[in-house]
Amino acid sequence: MPTQADKETLNLLQGTLDLLILQTLATGRAHGHAIAHSIERRSDDVLQVGHGSLYPALQRLLKLGLIRAEDGTSENNRRARFYQLTPKGRGQLYAETSRWERFSAAMARILAPENT
Amino acid sequence: MFGWQSRRQQLLDEFEAHIELETQENIARGMTPEQALRVARKRFGNALVAAEDAHTVWGGVWLERLLQDVRYAVRSLRSVPAYTITLMGTLALGLGCVATMLAIVDSVLLRPIALSHPEQLVRIWGEGSPDGYHSSDFALSYPAVDELRHSDASLAGVASYNVMVRPVTAQDGTRITPIANCSLNLPGMLGLSPRLGRIFTPADSGASVVLVGDGFWRERLHADPHAIGTTIHLFGRPRTIIGVLPAGTPFPQDSGSEFVFVPLELNGKGEDEFGFDSTDMIGRLKPGASKQQALAEAQRLFQNMAKTPAERQRRLVLRSYQETLTGDLRKPLWTLLAGVGALLLIACANAANLQIGRATNRLGEISIRAALGASFGRILQQLITESLLVSFTAASLAASVAFFAIRLLRHAYGADYTRFDELSLHPGVLLATVFLAALMGLVATVAPAVRLRRQVLRPSGARGSARSSRLPGILVSLQIAITCVLLVVSGLLTRTLHSLAEVKLGFDPHDVSTLVLMPEDQTQSPQLSRDLEGRLLERFGTLPGVEGVTTQSSVPFSSFNVGLNGRTDVEGHVYREGETANYTLVSTNFLKVSRIPLIAGRNFSKADESSAGIVVLVNEAFLKAFLPDRNPLGTILRFHRNPGETDADQPVAGDMTVIGVVGNELQGGALDSPYQPLVYLDFEQFPQQSMLSQIFNMSAQYAIRSALPLPVLDRELRAAIKQDAPSMVEMSLKPMAQGVEDSLGQRRLALRLVTGFSSVALLLSAGGIYGVLAYAVALRRREIGIRMALGSSRSETAALVLRQAVWMVAFGLIPGMAGAWISGHAIRSFLYGVRSLDAPTVAQVAVLLFAVTILAAALPTLRAVQVDPAETLRSE
Repeated sequence: MPTQADKETLNLLQGTLDLLILQTLATGRAHGHAIAHSIERRSDDVLQVGHGSLYPALQRLLKLGLIRAEDGTSENNRRARFYQLTPKGRGQLYAETSRWERFSAAMARILAPENT
Repeated sequence: MFGWQSRRQQLLDEFEAHIELETQENIARGMTPEQALRVARKRFGNALVAAEDAHTVWGGVWLERLLQDVRYAVRSLRSVPAYTITLMGTLALGLGCVATMLAIVDSVLLRPIALSHPEQLVRIWGEGSPDGYHSSDFALSYPAVDELRHSDASLAGVASYNVMVRPVTAQDGTRITPIANCSLNLPGMLGLSPRLGRIFTPADSGASVVLVGDGFWRERLHADPHAIGTTIHLFGRPRTIIGVLPAGTPFPQDSGSEFVFVPLELNGKGEDEFGFDSTDMIGRLKPGASKQQALAEAQRLFQNMAKTPAERQRRLVLRSYQETLTGDLRKPLWTLLAGVGALLLIACANAANLQIGRATNRLGEISIRAALGASFGRILQQLITESLLVSFTAASLAASVAFFAIRLLRHAYGADYTRFDELSLHPGVLLATVFLAALMGLVATVAPAVRLRRQVLRPSGARGSARSSRLPGILVSLQIAITCVLLVVSGLLTRTLHSLAEVKLGFDPHDVSTLVLMPEDQTQSPQLSRDLEGRLLERFGTLPGVEGVTTQSSVPFSSFNVGLNGRTDVEGHVYREGETANYTLVSTNFLKVSRIPLIAGRNFSKADESSAGIVVLVNEAFLKAFLPDRNPLGTILRFHRNPGETDADQPVAGDMTVIGVVGNELQGGALDSPYQPLVYLDFEQFPQQSMLSQIFNMSAQYAIRSALPLPVLDRELRAAIKQDAPSMVEMSLKPMAQGVEDSLGQRRLALRLVTGFSSVALLLSAGGIYGVLAYAVALRRREIGIRMALGSSRSETAALVLRQAVWMVAFGLIPGMAGAWISGHAIRSFLYGVRSLDAPTVAQVAVLLFAVTILAAALPTLRAVQVDPAETLRSE
């Protein structure tokens, strides 16, 4: 059975993964492989169990209506599914980002040296 | 389902595309194609888990998994048919018995009877038999019932009724028919609505009207739709039918449809038309009024109106009407339900053991599934699904078993026991069965699953570790304990029936038949009745093949007795309040026909009939109660008089002289009742002016000793009656031994059911012992082989297996015997001639259980001694 601490880590990772996906898609549409690589470049932890774990997260975001998927052709001329942000997803990303910025600004103030 | 398949396929395609892209990038980095693919796959991780997780996001996954589990369960159960059949058979047997018993309890005891608001209907009566002449032991005096009717605290309505049989003349002739002589408000209070005509109204007071039951209407009036307004004759009086009651009216008995309802009329002396001064009562509680409250009020009321100390002390009893209908069935049925509950426990233990065995065999399969990423919860869910699948199949099998069993019981016993004609399987019972099945399935899975978890989580290589578990052995001991209880109970019942069959009846019922005759005109003069009775006695006596014939106002085990229970003064004995003796009117031939021995003095003689002094015979029980250590002959008996009572209030006003003492005979209808003090009078000597003479004239019971076949005797008697006493109506001839046998019916049925349950229990337990031992031997094959290779002999090996069997039984017998003792105590009211802890029964049961254990252990033992040590060593 996963312990309580495990669960919290999982939730945190899940939230982070969702945010990372949204952010990746902010620059335009992408397929799973591209998203996986983009995320890997930015975080070592989130996809530690393998690229496969990206897909349940994509399904979750699809279900929430934050992203949508369409069929297309990949760079090697294969059929692939491309994901892109919906307006709702964009709003969510904005909200999350600004919340994070407020939070980190607050943290920065707390941690900043007294004399500034 | 729900497009999952295509979505899943799309997802898997996407995975493939992902891995392919990754592979190409790897090749571009300079890997070989194989290496590139391997690294790509590794980087992707567990695709199936990813798909599963994605699947969870879509929702409805539980249903998908359930279907998957069901498919998987069906497949895996089909691969082990022996296990599946044994498990389902065990469960279906246990559940079938439980469902049948539940259906009986539900139909007979729980289901409300077909009267409006039956829970409000109650009966009140006094403890102990009432005084004087009465139609039932539950009778209260008419003034007492009136008193209840007029106090309007808790009871919304009070009605009275007396039940009897009387000749009723319709167009098809005169036949003896059940009658309810009831107050006018009775049908209305019960909430009956007639199928034809109307019910009584207050305006019917004094009118010659009757209501008839549906059965009477069909049988005697040929279901005539114009029956309303026609006339039937009863008690020498024409009466107009004003209504027909609906079929299935559960009053005054569970099926009252043969009855004729006659409105009550009281004369100046406070007696009804049939000479009774007391009556049964039924009342309806006001909504919200409690039974305790109603009883307390009635008790107060009776104390206020009581005249004698005995009346003041008399305790009242209040029961719901439904309870009085099914009263004598309540305890036996609940007890039998407890019995099948025990049986179900045995079946459950067997099921658990079977599943433990199977789970251990599946250890490998389950370990692999766990290694492939199945969580313990997921495996448990799968096991539970399989178990529930078995349970529900077993439940539907059980329901069909119960359905047929109930039909069989309804046909076989519908006419014999209260409400058995209403037996049926209601949805509630089916639901309960399914619930029990599910519960059994869950309980029987949890134990093996917990063990599985322990073993799956354990590092590999722990083969044979299941041996260390004590659970299967404990379950078998539990089965043995319960089986022991059931067997002891059925042994006690068997002994009870044997003891009852050996009860000294006092009379000899073999070759004696009884016949009830009633004058068509119930008001005919006592002299005429007596003349007819004498004439018939003489005529019957001369019939070829008839050894002897007597009249008897109360015949043992007959339902047509006219009882006289009188407070009696005995010369030389100080009267104590409430001392009574039973009086029976017989004819001179009585001792010869009944074969009751004359112990002292002399029998009645012809000369007594014309002499003025009344002479009586008394039995040994009378002697013991009233005249211990005294010469009874010549003792004078008198009916006890309360202050103010005159000759007219006495059944017999004068002195009665004891001329002889006879052996005890068992009166009443139960073999386990004690002998009552009895006084026999010659019916010819019974004073004609007595207030009871009219009552004794209303019916006569004959006991005829003859070796003739019943149909022949019946024909001859009918012919004689037709010739000599055409105005007498007869009821069918019945062998006396039949009456005695019928009184055992309920006990026989109970014994049959308990024996059935305990046989099933024994069978299941034997299966349980066999299963556990066979399994243990299979697990210990290696160990046994090594032991034998090291020099252990075959008998030592056999002892190894048998020792385990004997321990399981011994551990079961200890709680089993304690349970048997408690159960014996709980059913002691059904027992007779055997104590609730009967050492011989317990010993027999123990021997039987050991014998069955040895039988069940035979095959596994044989298998153990046939283990080939060489083979074992080779495989090591």
